[in-house]
Amino acid sequence: MRHVLSSAFIAIALALGTGAQAQVPQGYPADYAQIVDAAKKEGKVVIYATTDAVAANPLIKDFEALYPGITVEYSDLNSTELYNRFIAEAAANNGTADVLWSSAMDLQVKLVADGQAATYASPEIKSLPKWAVWKDSAYGTTYEPIAFVYNKRLVPEGDVPKNHTALLKLLDAKTDFYKGKITAYDPERSGVGYLFCNEDIKDFPQAWDLFKAMGKAQAKLYTSAGAMMERVTSGEHLIAYGIFGSYALGRSKKDPNLGIILPNDYTMVTSRVAFISKKAKNPNAGKLFLDYMLSKRGQEIIANKADLYSLRADVEGEATIKGVTQLIGDKARPVAIDQTLLENLDQAKRLAFLSKWQQAKKGQ
Amino acid sequence: MPIVVYRLLVIGVTTLAVLAPLSLVIYQSFLTAPFFDPSAQAGFLAYSFVFADPDFWQAFWTTITIAGGMAAIAVPLGALLAFLMVRTDVPGREYLEPLILIPIFVSAVVIAFGYVVAIGPVGIFSTLAKDILGFVPWNLYSLLALIVIAGLTHVPHVYLYSAAALRGLSTDLEEAARVSGANPFRVAVNVSLPMILPAILFAGVLVFFLGFELFGLPLVLGDPQDVLVLSTYLYKLTNKLGVPSYQLMAVVVVAIIAITAPLVFMQRLLLRQAQRYVSVRGKGLKTQPLRLHGWRWFAFGAIMLWLFVTVVVPLFGITLRSFVVTWGEGVKLLDVLTLDHYRELTEYPNVIRGILNTLGIGVIGGAVAVAWYTAIALAVHRWNSGWTRLVDYLVMVPRAMPGLVAGRALLWVFLFVPFLSPLKSTMVSIWLAYTIVWLAYGMRLVSGTLLQVAPELEEAARTAGANDLRVKRDVTVPLIRYGMLASWLLIFLIFVREYSTGIYLLGPGTEVIGSLLVSLWGTGAIDLVSALSVVNVLMIGVGLAVAVRLGVRLHG
Amino acid sequence: MADLTVKDVALRLGDNEILKGVSVAVPAGEVVALLGPSGSGKTTLLRAIAGLETPHSGSIAIGDRVFFDAAHEVELPAEERGLGLVFQSYALWPHRTVFDNVAYGLKLRGVSAAEIKTRVEKTLSQIGLGHLGARYPHQLSGGQQQRVAIARALVYEPPVILLDEPLSNLDAKLREEARAWLRTLIVTLGLSAIHVTHDQVEAMAIADRIVLLDAGVVAQEGAPTALYNEPATLFAAEFMGSNDRLDGKLVENSGGRATIELFGERLTGIARTKVASGGKATGIIRIERVRCTSNPGPNRLKMELKAPMYLGERWELVFARENLSVRAYASAPLEPGEHYVEFPPEAMWVF
Repeated sequence: MRHVLSSAFIAIALALGTGAQAQVPQGYPADYAQIVDAAKKEGKVVIYATTDAVAANPLIKDFEALYPGITVEYSDLNSTELYNRFIAEAAANNGTADVLWSSAMDLQVKLVADGQAATYASPEIKSLPKWAVWKDSAYGTTYEPIAFVYNKRLVPEGDVPKNHTALLKLLDAKTDFYKGKITAYDPERSGVGYLFCNEDIKDFPQAWDLFKAMGKAQAKLYTSAGAMMERVTSGEHLIAYGIFGSYALGRSKKDPNLGIILPNDYTMVTSRVAFISKKAKNPNAGKLFLDYMLSKRGQEIIANKADLYSLRADVEGEATIKGVTQLIGDKARPVAIDQTLLENLDQAKRLAFLSKWQQAKKGQ
Repeated sequence: MPIVVYRLLVIGVTTLAVLAPLSLVIYQSFLTAPFFDPSAQAGFLAYSFVFADPDFWQAFWTTITIAGGMAAIAVPLGALLAFLMVRTDVPGREYLEPLILIPIFVSAVVIAFGYVVAIGPVGIFSTLAKDILGFVPWNLYSLLALIVIAGLTHVPHVYLYSAAALRGLSTDLEEAARVSGANPFRVAVNVSLPMILPAILFAGVLVFFLGFELFGLPLVLGDPQDVLVLSTYLYKLTNKLGVPSYQLMAVVVVAIIAITAPLVFMQRLLLRQAQRYVSVRGKGLKTQPLRLHGWRWFAFGAIMLWLFVTVVVPLFGITLRSFVVTWGEGVKLLDVLTLDHYRELTEYPNVIRGILNTLGIGVIGGAVAVAWYTAIALAVHRWNSGWTRLVDYLVMVPRAMPGLVAGRALLWVFLFVPFLSPLKSTMVSIWLAYTIVWLAYGMRLVSGTLLQVAPELEEAARTAGANDLRVKRDVTVPLIRYGMLASWLLIFLIFVREYSTGIYLLGPGTEVIGSLLVSLWGTGAIDLVSALSVVNVLMIGVGLAVAVRLGVRLHG
Repeated sequence: MADLTVKDVALRLGDNEILKGVSVAVPAGEVVALLGPSGSGKTTLLRAIAGLETPHSGSIAIGDRVFFDAAHEVELPAEERGLGLVFQSYALWPHRTVFDNVAYGLKLRGVSAAEIKTRVEKTLSQIGLGHLGARYPHQLSGGQQQRVAIARALVYEPPVILLDEPLSNLDAKLREEARAWLRTLIVTLGLSAIHVTHDQVEAMAIADRIVLLDAGVVAQEGAPTALYNEPATLFAAEFMGSNDRLDGKLVENSGGRATIELFGERLTGIARTKVASGGKATGIIRIERVRCTSNPGPNRLKMELKAPMYLGERWELVFARENLSVRAYASAPLEPGEHYVEFPPEAMWVF
């Protein structure tokens, strides 16, 4: 339908003899065509992202199909490396990414706060949740519930924890059985782990009790979700605490042994944050890509092909706001994209948390 | 071109390439923020932070423990292995040598992944042991296991130097002991090994030094137990303050260099001493190997056991993992066999690029690197001057910088040197990093070859009327052609194996298998990691096979 | 062609003073042998002339072309001296054929390919290897390799050809043939040559003049006959030929005659010392001049024959008395027992 429409649009445009006026997505302002034209002149968009190239591949292919003539140069990096590379390149001022798309929400907010982002009000703003837009610069692009993941073969049916309180009880009750069998992100070594812990403290009054219980059960702490899931499916560990639902969903499709729980007391929801670099060499192509990611068409791919969970209410499927709401009702707790995230980077607060954490790790 | 210009050019470029990254790191360590940040100020803040961090000291002592422990394991085993291989009639000696050297050429990350699958808590061998014994008699994630694995995988390093020294040693000393009534073991302990003590000592310092460079093993095996060594502390330091802190990383780098640099120069001294010892060689007669009699097969079995543990177990593990969907307790492997992971490799454009780039850096990059090493070696070849000694030390400098660090420093150089920045996201940056990191090794290969050129051959050309450069072109280079080819093969193997240097340089266009493995491991794409590891091992296997076929000595 | 002059050359290798001020002159067309024991500095001197070692003082020149002059800081690199050098190990380039080995010097001099071909072929046929041009060095015998090395040094007609023990790698029989061949070649071609050797027989056979080096200084120089028959120093006397050495006390020294005393008996010889009398002195005499007699007489010592040894063309006799041991030649073996060994006064030098 859209294809027919846009073809018709081009045909009309040609018929009217207005020259090679580009197509404008439905509902966008008419002057958007100028951005499209400028973007086509730029010819490419450079993206640094933490999302695997393979997961992002359908998105990239579709974008390139939608805007022929603009190629996507996509690099996947880990979140600290993305940050590192970007600030160094921005300082060196000889070319860096046009769009930064990272799951490290706090670092992304810091870059925006430090003035590294261009201000751009996307035409898609009205379709996005309020918490997902900050300063017309930083945009949440996904809606990723943080799940528990467990080994279906080896965790007894009755043990499967449905929420945080149940997990705490389970660990208190069967400490020996789960000794060394619990795994989680390490907040000392991983930015994501630090973010998760701090959000838990806000949402769950017994958070420190849970951390202590994990300490007593000698939980093994990792810096990557993949390493945790690998070890849960192999049976080396049994339950992984705090795994991106998106990764878990992708993995469980390949491996039936992996069970996913969205805790029903509250489920933290994170979002991959994107913004356009102030130093972008291809700012218009950057705008097109950002708008595309937020558009219904882009979000449908995010939800159904990339397993990344869409944050648009009008997208259908398992990996969407709708899908999550069906499972846990109103218990979703999205992490808002705003300056409160900067508190995570406050050094004094951080070091204070870490010393308390080290105590909890010993079960104290 | 006069020889002076040639020398100045080569030495100048090398000095710049070696010292620029190093001085950048040292400079950065004395700043309070990234050096390109306008708010950066000079000061010792970064030093006081790092030295006040208990994690740093823990990583420091862990590193010392591991380095010392692995030397304690590798040195006696390596020396004994050398004695068995060089001096006794262990069965199949001629076929064993290339096998023994495999651990040197297989990337440590690959070995580590393999161990996780094979003898991790629910690994294939572990579940087997559990079925038989009722429990798993080992714990892969302990510090002890890390030390043992590091020690066992570094046995070949000690073997190489001890074997070379033993070959240079006259056998009549051993025959004398034999005639006096000593059995082969006593001959080894009382005569042969003490005679090559300087070489063994050198190898010991080398292994201790390599302990400081250890990255892949602690990265993978240390993760679950939170065992940090200096290199992994460095890798993970970024999270300490929430935002990446270049100045802190620079301080750790300076700390590492402060320890490794003296070790490197100590090695130099010891090596010279070891060579002096060896030069007291007896007649080059081929003598009868010592007969082990009944111990023959026992010794063979011991070597096989070691090979099994250090080569077969991890490579089997990683290969198996690449063909299954999942594994572990309660999984029937036959039900989960798949070729999907290999198919998946082709879906990732960056993985495909990584494989091609790795081949390219090995074949083309290796050749260009050998050309550069040769250019340097020729510049100082038969040049009796203070500059020659300076270059000698200069090429040792990068040795003190672990690859991870060199890669990071070079990234900065590529970012901020205007004419280099367009090359940043090309393989040129990777090539330069590899070439610098392996400068000392490559120079040793090439210089070793040059040493074999008799000086009269060059002097004859001089008196016939050829100037210095003509002599090098017409006589020296043609004479070392074979040696250069051999060096190329060895550099190929090293470049294909390398994983730590490219980590920070990794980007679109600069993917290589080694750093992709580390990065993919970080994101948890174990399926890909295992398949890619197997591809890497296959490439190295082909390289090794070619080397063995051509009769290349697998050491400098 | 001009004369080669080496003046006061001194050279250190590390802390080792190898040459301590050596002067040598090689007139055009003359063959000079640098003779000396190992460590005397003869090869180092040759290498300094070739430009492969740098002295720290002195000068080296051919005619008015200065190769080296420490005082004026002149040093011509080896390749610009245009000399020919034959190495002890021959140093043939293993990766080039015989032809290419020989042709290299001409190629460097920009000689046309056609001329190279004729000149190399001419030189190869002069040394009798005209048919082996296409071979590689390792396919040749030692003697052939040595000839190729000489051809390589000759082909571009250097003013002086330097030979560094060229015969020492050949076995004894071949060496004598090569010696004669080399002498003939040099004389036929009218070359100037410096020939380094530690073999005094080879030096005497090949050279017009011998420069005898001892520990970095010239001990004596002159025609072979002069060196053999009129040694100036104890070292020269002992180094040349085979000798008997008689250590005694100097009792008289006058009119060019000196007398030493040992075992209470007096032996007179040609005085080679200025000391009047007293102190130790040494008598040196060539073995072939010692005679065996059965009666006592002047300049004779009573000694006991220990071991007659048959050498083929003659007998060698070893006499002893206390700790003195003396050798002599005889055409027939003598009876063991006491004999009187005569040291003719005109053949013995007293140092």
